[in-house]
Amino acid sequence: MLDMSGIVKRFGTHEVLRGVSLRVARGETVVVIGPSGSGKTTLLRCVNLLEDYQQGTVRVDGEPIGYTLDRNDQRQRMTEPEIAAAREKVGIVFQSYNLFPHMTVLQNIAVAPIRVRGIPRPKAEQRARDLLAMVGLSDKVDAYPARLSGGQQQRVAIARALAMDPKIMLFDEVTSALDPELVGEVLAAMRQLARDGMTMIVVTHEMSFARDVADRVVFMDGGVIVEEGAPEEMFTSPRSERVRQFLKRYNDRYRL
Amino acid sequence: MKTFAPLLHSYWYLFRGAGMTVLMAVAAVVPATLLGVLLALTQIFGSRASRSAVVGYIFIIRGIPLLVLLTFVYYLLPLTGMDLPPFWGVVLVLACYYAAFMSEAFRAGILSLPQAQWDAAKSLGMRRHLMLRIIIFPQALRLAAPPFVNLCINLIKATSLVSIVGLWELTMASREVVERTLAPFQIFVAAAGIYFCICYALALYGRYLERRVLVDH
Repeated sequence: MLDMSGIVKRFGTHEVLRGVSLRVARGETVVVIGPSGSGKTTLLRCVNLLEDYQQGTVRVDGEPIGYTLDRNDQRQRMTEPEIAAAREKVGIVFQSYNLFPHMTVLQNIAVAPIRVRGIPRPKAEQRARDLLAMVGLSDKVDAYPARLSGGQQQRVAIARALAMDPKIMLFDEVTSALDPELVGEVLAAMRQLARDGMTMIVVTHEMSFARDVADRVVFMDGGVIVEEGAPEEMFTSPRSERVRQFLKRYNDRYRL
Repeated sequence: MKTFAPLLHSYWYLFRGAGMTVLMAVAAVVPATLLGVLLALTQIFGSRASRSAVVGYIFIIRGIPLLVLLTFVYYLLPLTGMDLPPFWGVVLVLACYYAAFMSEAFRAGILSLPQAQWDAAKSLGMRRHLMLRIIIFPQALRLAAPPFVNLCINLIKATSLVSIVGLWELTMASREVVERTLAPFQIFVAAAGIYFCICYALALYGRYLERRVLVDH
């Protein structure tokens, strides 16, 4: 489904991603954990080229996003319209929700299907209502984002990304900006999605979510994938010292 | 009242001058706004060369008094062989002059939107022109509205300078009346009052727009 290979990303001379390769199978939920600054978010943003990268390629269902390889294996950047079209296949939910403040909830969800994919308005709006029902916000159809709580805004953001029928969904620390009380409702929506067979990459600090929902956990540090494996294995008997250290510190902090 | 009453007839003349002022301002605001948007977009998205050209233009315009520019064009235009009526010549100068300032207002509005809004729009597969039209502009316009209204008010007041190149409008009309009536106080108080009313009405309308149409939801 998703195939990232050899991604290298530099900010100036600082290498944020140092040759990261990640494959995600259809229907799989991969949770990426790791300390701040390890490159998790950057990796996610490279998938749909919100962040440019200097080496490597990304493919979704075999189709390149962002860069193609020519006959001599030289990377060629796709044109802007091609990139825009490729981005439709990838849904992303951001830490800061990023809803459009000048549009109602319904418009936020329906605008891209209507304007980008050309779906007739009644159909797109019906689908938007269905998605809102799915995330439990049917009563907020005509509200503006500023009237919603963070948890509600984030669920709208999930519905907005789903409305484009993406092949894969990316979640970038989507609960980090939320009050602890509101985290649960967002995670519940994501659990439901995973159960329904959506292909997902989730960057998060919610270890219990990782443990319950992930098919595979990936630990990143210093711009590389240090270890990956099944959640049980990763959380109970990690192979690398770095992961053990990270989890210990995490547990110490949350044991209260 | 005695001092003003004999001049009632003259006031009618002033109102006609005011009509001309408004006409000139409207004729200049429209192209100034369009050019301002164009300059702002060029400065944000243009090639390196076109960006420098716009920056240079803005610096030059900012560094020259409008009065000097008006006089310069007044003498220069006939030499170029362009047969432009003085009214349109003045409108052209006003438009080019205020476009430079408006472009800065629009640019600030666009750039002050968080990067996150662009990211969200891009991630939904929007191409640049669609993204600008339905996501960026509606929000940037709200941010740019107060400085924009301010510039429109400045432009209206700046039309008073064009009497220097012989164009007839409210200020010129006032001077003519004063020469006839020798009542500068009464006449210029009236002229100032008319200018104030026009600008104040515009300011109120700007406020109304901000509150009602461009409200922050």
